[in-house]
Amino acid sequence: MAELSLKNVGKRFGSYEIIRNASLEVADGEFVVFVGPSGCGKSTLLRMIAGLEPITDGEISIGDTVVNNVEPADRGIAMVFQSYALYPHMTVEENLAFGLRMTGNPKADTERRVQRVADILQIKELMKRRPKQLSGGQRQRVAIGRAIVREPRVFLFDEPLSNLDAELRVQMRVEISRLHKELGTTMIYVTHDQTEAMTLANKIVVLRSGNIEQIGAPLDLYDNPANQFVAGFVGSPKMNFMSAEIVAADGENVTLTLVNQGNVQLTLPLKNPPPSIGDKVTLGVRPEHFAKAGEGIADLTIKVDVAEHLGNTSYIYANVAGGEQLIIEREESRNENIRDTLTIAIKSSHALLFDSDGNRLR
Amino acid sequence: MQLRNRAAYGFLAPYLLIFAAFWIWPIISSFMMSFQNTRINPWVFSPGANWGRLFTDPAFYNALKNTMIILVIQVPVMITLATVMAVLLNSPLLKARGLFRFAFFAPVVVGEVAYAAVFRLMFNLDFGIINKLLNSVGIASISWFSDASAAMALLIIAVTWRWAGYNTIIILAGLQSIPGDVYEAATLDRVSKLRQFIYITLPLLKPIILFCVVLSIIGSMQLFTEPMLITNRGGPGGGTETLGLFLYRQGFTSLNFGYASAIAYTMAALAILISLLNLWVGRDAK
Amino acid sequence: MKSQSRSTLIRSLSLHAVLIPLALVWLFPLWMMFVFATMPDYGIFSPQIELLPSTHFIENVSNLQADTDFIRALIISIGVAITYTVLSVLLTSMAGWALARYSFVGKSLVIAIILGTITLPYFVVVIPQFIMVAREFKMANTWIALIVPPLFNSLGVLFMRQAFSMMPVELFDAARVEGVKEWQIFLRIALPLARPTMAALAIILFLASWNNYLWPLLINSRPGMMTAPVALGTLIGLTKVSWGGIMAGAVLLTAPILVIFILLQRHFIAGIAAGAVK
Repeated sequence: MAELSLKNVGKRFGSYEIIRNASLEVADGEFVVFVGPSGCGKSTLLRMIAGLEPITDGEISIGDTVVNNVEPADRGIAMVFQSYALYPHMTVEENLAFGLRMTGNPKADTERRVQRVADILQIKELMKRRPKQLSGGQRQRVAIGRAIVREPRVFLFDEPLSNLDAELRVQMRVEISRLHKELGTTMIYVTHDQTEAMTLANKIVVLRSGNIEQIGAPLDLYDNPANQFVAGFVGSPKMNFMSAEIVAADGENVTLTLVNQGNVQLTLPLKNPPPSIGDKVTLGVRPEHFAKAGEGIADLTIKVDVAEHLGNTSYIYANVAGGEQLIIEREESRNENIRDTLTIAIKSSHALLFDSDGNRLR
Repeated sequence: MQLRNRAAYGFLAPYLLIFAAFWIWPIISSFMMSFQNTRINPWVFSPGANWGRLFTDPAFYNALKNTMIILVIQVPVMITLATVMAVLLNSPLLKARGLFRFAFFAPVVVGEVAYAAVFRLMFNLDFGIINKLLNSVGIASISWFSDASAAMALLIIAVTWRWAGYNTIIILAGLQSIPGDVYEAATLDRVSKLRQFIYITLPLLKPIILFCVVLSIIGSMQLFTEPMLITNRGGPGGGTETLGLFLYRQGFTSLNFGYASAIAYTMAALAILISLLNLWVGRDAK
Repeated sequence: MKSQSRSTLIRSLSLHAVLIPLALVWLFPLWMMFVFATMPDYGIFSPQIELLPSTHFIENVSNLQADTDFIRALIISIGVAITYTVLSVLLTSMAGWALARYSFVGKSLVIAIILGTITLPYFVVVIPQFIMVAREFKMANTWIALIVPPLFNSLGVLFMRQAFSMMPVELFDAARVEGVKEWQIFLRIALPLARPTMAALAIILFLASWNNYLWPLLINSRPGMMTAPVALGTLIGLTKVSWGGIMAGAVLLTAPILVIFILLQRHFIAGIAAGAVK
């Protein structure tokens, strides 16, 4: 049984739709990440689940109750905010206990829960301090603690790491992951950072301008993106997109020409529905899916623009005609230089094809 | 509307209750009263009794004239002075800033009755320190209370003393909200301090100065305590009677509420006119 | 370098040459108030120029007390100002909170009306207020009459509203998610965070109540129920009265508020400057 389910949920301001027809099932204990560029509606969707934003269409249920008209406090959720939203005039301890005290939770139980959280998050020595006296990471920990104290059925995280510096972000990411394993509670997590999404989630929900583009396990999204947007959004560095045109299609294979790569032609197996000759399409290849010259279905000759040698791997950047940029990851070599000419091959197995609307053809 | 938004009415209720009882109802009530003859019992609808009388009452025109004279002289003098004080107080070269601020801001907290009493003594014809000081530099004593123009000047001096600091505080706050890098950029461009003041400071301060002007006009228009206590109930012989004092005498000495309400609404009409004028001047700037 | 520091010196000197005399003129009435309050009546009315304080302050206070029961009036003024300030800060905070945090039917109308009253002359409402309180409720010469009608305050509400709307919304959302009731959010989170604003507002309201003259003059004119400014006002213009006493009264009215001003200057100035923050 789903712990959380959304059925055709929508939100409108007049004729402006912020969230369109969102449906989602979250199982008990799952870690679901909403990811998408800013303004895609991911935070709004989270706030709708929390009950902080009213919904205009559809149905949200937590457990087996429809919560459309249930107050946030009665939904069995806890939320961690981007700005932490710690009460500045209260100590850490008071921050943790405030909600329980205000709702008349028995004193002994409140104390027990606060103690437990202090143990889990190792913030015992901070209990008497005020938020102003804490570092960013410590504040974040207290904010998470305040959510844990509520012992919710579902945790909601609204971009909780975006105010931290890079190093701390990695550290807290690991900690949240550990926490999820320890508590085993359902977590919904909003971020614009696909790395966070890939590392934390059991299930990723990719949103774009109010629409859910794809739902799936991280590696599924990586290997099998539903469309060009998801393919481009998931993965770092990004997937390479090359403009192409169909020159032949026989129902089994299509042949295309890469218009910005000196009209190199290549043939890929593709059954249904066969595109027509002359269609503009886009070929997608991830940086790590290029092979040595001659080992693929077509060879590309590129001129190195920038070469980044990171030690374990190298990234080669090449600008080609039409403003396209190719990024190629090479693990085996570290001696390419600017203006070198390089020949690489496209492998058939990992080449994706999208039509002009971004829909996946192959 | 969300359920929780209903809580807003709970928070607003006590305030709105007071507001309705002691402002909304009175606004309506005095409007109605201004059309009633309140000198007979029961009151009867008779627009001429008050409004007709108002426009032919020489005492009203006298009070209106006095109020206007005070407005036209006192407000520009005070706002100019307040702007100068604010600019000088804002100078980084100033020493003992706290002392100067105290000197100019302290009158703001002094009650009207207290300062009225002091001004009465200071400006006394025979024993007042002001005349004594004037005499000591060879100027003859001025009859501050029995000469109408002198009494008017006294009122203007008193009100300016009391309120200049108030406006200085507001203008100073405005000055301090102008980012310093604007002036640094201007200095690098070799713009003189005077030009910086005219071309940067004044335009940026314009909305705040306008706000002060409107507040001061509306305040001075309602001038009451000073002519009541300093110049002894609008003396000499009505020479300093203001609209506020005239209204007080009609409403609370003669208990002619209808007539007093008509005077009050005349003041309201003037206030609305001034506010609209301010909006118009303010819009022009943008 | 040298010419620059010289021109700075000249500017500094001319700045002080303007400000020092101006400041002395501005301080003069206050200084004279204290001087007069310490002088015997024959000193005040002597033909010499007297600019220094004497030693008759206590005597003047007892003269004043003989003319009117000023101590009682002071006690009434203190009680009224404190009660008024507490109630008014509470009312305006609640209303400001409602206008800052919630969306509800009629909100923009309420704000528009409140803004409209800023420029409305007080005389428009004072006559019906007087008729209502004195004649219909028969409550002239009571504490309630002094405190309740002036409770409506438009700038205060806008001031508090501004303070509340500058607080991050997530703070209140967090509390809502935790099940904290709206009035608890207001009392336990919003009010403590608004403390500096409330302090500034409280000082301004206290000052306004302490110095209020017209309304107390109209409604509480019976000896024994007068506030201190009204009691003092009744003496001004009388012939057989101790002017030293009146000045002592003026000092008693002014000195406490001046001390508060010196101690809490920052809040004071913030409160007054807020008038310009629309």
